[in-house]
Amino acid sequence: MSTPIDAQGLQTILDNSLTPAAIRVVELHGARYTRRSLLDHIFKPLVETGSNPNCTLGDVVSSISTAQAKLSRLGIFVEDSFRVFISDARKDVSVHPERTDLDIAFNVKERSRLALGAGTDFGNTEGSAYTNAELRNIFGGAETLTVNARTGTRTRSAYNAIFSAPINGNPDIRLAAETQRSSTQKPWASHEENLTGAGLRLDWQKADNGDTHSIAYSSIWRQITGLLPSASPTVRADAGDSLKSSITYTFTRDRFNRAAAPSPTLPQSGYLLRAVSELAGWGPLQGDVSFSKTEVELSTASPLPLPGVKPTSGISIGGGLRMGLLYPLPFGFNLTGSAMPSRINDRFQLGGPTDVRGFKLGGLGPHDGADSVGGDVYAAGGVNLLFPLPRTGPDSPLRFQVFANGGRLVALKHKGKSKQGQGDGDPLRIDSGAVRRSVSSAVSELASGLPSLAAGVGLVYAHPAARFELNFSLPLVMRRGEEGRKGLQVGVGISFL
Amino acid sequence: MAATTTPPPWQWPIPRPLQYLFDAVPLRVYEATELPARSQPATSDTLPSLYVFATAEDARRGRPSFNPGCLKWQTYLRLAGVPFRLVASTNHASPTGALPFLLPPRSTTSCSTSPIPSSQLASYAEKTHAVSPSTPLSVVANIPSSSVLRSEAYQSLVDHPLRNAWLYALYLDRRHTSLLDTFYTGPASSSGLVRATLRRQLRHAAEGEILKMGSYLSGAAAGTAVVDGDRVVREAGEALEALAGVLAESGTGWFFGAEGPSLFDCAVFAYTFLMVEYMAGPGEKGSREGDVWLGDMVRKAGEGELEGHRVRILRAAFGEGS
Repeated sequence: MSTPIDAQGLQTILDNSLTPAAIRVVELHGARYTRRSLLDHIFKPLVETGSNPNCTLGDVVSSISTAQAKLSRLGIFVEDSFRVFISDARKDVSVHPERTDLDIAFNVKERSRLALGAGTDFGNTEGSAYTNAELRNIFGGAETLTVNARTGTRTRSAYNAIFSAPINGNPDIRLAAETQRSSTQKPWASHEENLTGAGLRLDWQKADNGDTHSIAYSSIWRQITGLLPSASPTVRADAGDSLKSSITYTFTRDRFNRAAAPSPTLPQSGYLLRAVSELAGWGPLQGDVSFSKTEVELSTASPLPLPGVKPTSGISIGGGLRMGLLYPLPFGFNLTGSAMPSRINDRFQLGGPTDVRGFKLGGLGPHDGADSVGGDVYAAGGVNLLFPLPRTGPDSPLRFQVFANGGRLVALKHKGKSKQGQGDGDPLRIDSGAVRRSVSSAVSELASGLPSLAAGVGLVYAHPAARFELNFSLPLVMRRGEEGRKGLQVGVGISFL
Repeated sequence: MAATTTPPPWQWPIPRPLQYLFDAVPLRVYEATELPARSQPATSDTLPSLYVFATAEDARRGRPSFNPGCLKWQTYLRLAGVPFRLVASTNHASPTGALPFLLPPRSTTSCSTSPIPSSQLASYAEKTHAVSPSTPLSVVANIPSSSVLRSEAYQSLVDHPLRNAWLYALYLDRRHTSLLDTFYTGPASSSGLVRATLRRQLRHAAEGEILKMGSYLSGAAAGTAVVDGDRVVREAGEALEALAGVLAESGTGWFFGAEGPSLFDCAVFAYTFLMVEYMAGPGEKGSREGDVWLGDMVRKAGEGELEGHRVRILRAAFGEGS
């Protein structure tokens, strides 16, 4: 008799987990369009476990759940359609009296191969509408093609297409090819940026701890155009075309305990660490810009137990820290040649309702007139205290928050005289020694004086898809030219400082 | 805080205690963060900046732009004695989508500086002289009022046949592909793919401009728009002869009997200079027997009046001999 495993059945199996067992047959039902080769990769470990003479029932169960988790991570089966049937295959007890022979059958249901969607999105102070089409399991190997079109309040238009496929049938390693084209307004620096590009990305994650890694090559033609009449000379100087050819590595370790939180976007404990490094233009990469760029982000949350209140008071304290550094590099394979200073579309921007609250979008750092022209080095940090509202209690996704945050964004400047009259020498070029000096002086400038600071109170509503904040903020410390925001500020986003 | 942020059209009435709070912050204001390295040359100048198409090197030395529209105004402003510095730029930097334009220095007009498009440069030059008499003497002259109508008619020779010939030679004539790359696609990007795309876009736009001006369709190819190059060049030759004739008739060495170079002289010079400078003729790479060269046509027009005119303006505006 075969039965789907329920909780009670599972317990029975676990009680007998040391019983020797073997797998005789593995069957999969319902995978009509999925290729055999893909499934082989997933079931091979199961069959190997099952044929090991020392195999126990516990081993069988754990490899079944591994296989099922892999099937689910392929993303081509309906999430709650999984059923596993285990049946005793012993016809003749005398053959292996001490061992349980098992037949295992998986029942799955494939997701529809074409999905069309449309909707609206809010994020980073922009609202947008999108349509997308997703073709799943195109060649039966869990390959996906996604095509997106989007238009919004700041994004005039954006199109992208991504083709991705698991490597070796492993759902935890995916290779993706991507093309994109977009046109976005950058009101904080009076221009519009058009992007056309293509790239290749390899993503992998550790199944046991959820750490994700991604390494990507991309080649993007950027065009700064559509300048406002009031655009500053800095923006005008950077108007035009440039090609960025770069390799980016991203590491994410998300240890937020989201399952126990009232909402996935309101974790009460744990931490998230993300590091992004990009190398552009150097060596064989070519292109018009050459630099290395590194960003590190850490956010933490921990519950704050109150004496006398039951264990989950719902009060938590969160902290965030972000840092970034852009280092101009020479072109080609040399390390000591001269480098070009960064352009506005490569520099960092800081400030806004989702990072340093109490400042306008791009409100921190160097400003040329009204334009936020960005910087090459930054550090920002913040602390917030979240309290449940009196009536709704700790389990609701609503919180009252008190926060203080600040940051500093500095640009590299090159004090040395520009060496003119050196033939083809562009006067902007700087030699590697000067780059090193200016980076170290910019880093030390981060610590000069107090950082630009703001503090305030607000309401947080953590919807599972995004977190909404309505804050009342006051900038406390600023630099001339920086744009603070006194009063109310709305923030919508997924990650906040 | 920058004073340039325009106030929103309507504001919530702010209660008094809140206003006190708002007035109290920020508690501390430090000096402004310094601008990045790339913007230092762009912002540190006290001279107005004329944004033109030019190589970085030429811009630094104040040499003539390679774009006729830019060169016309560059020459005019120099002759008018307006001090400025050149900035090598692209159309993307312009509020109107076209170069040249002049950006006044930030110090003169409060904080916001609106660019001055080429259509207002002549009046800007006049105003500059009215405001500060210390600027070098202007040598530009006005065309005698009796000839104004006539000059307008001749202006169309510059705007159509000469312009078409320049567009045709630079963008569509494959002999000048390397020139096109040096001028426009090279400075834009080092990427071959980006350059090829830009080159295609530029050629398409140039073709459209020429075809817009008249029926230059080559008869042979029906259905596809192909510019009749021979006709474009022939009409340019006729226009150059006509201009040389007018110049000979004038007697002062400047068009229409003016006492000094006028804007019209600058417009003609912009084409004749560039044609002689970059499309001089035999001896250039890839030239064949029987090829027609625009620079050659300028030199030979009339009895060399245009060539003499070109040298005179070059000397007056850029202080160079021929």
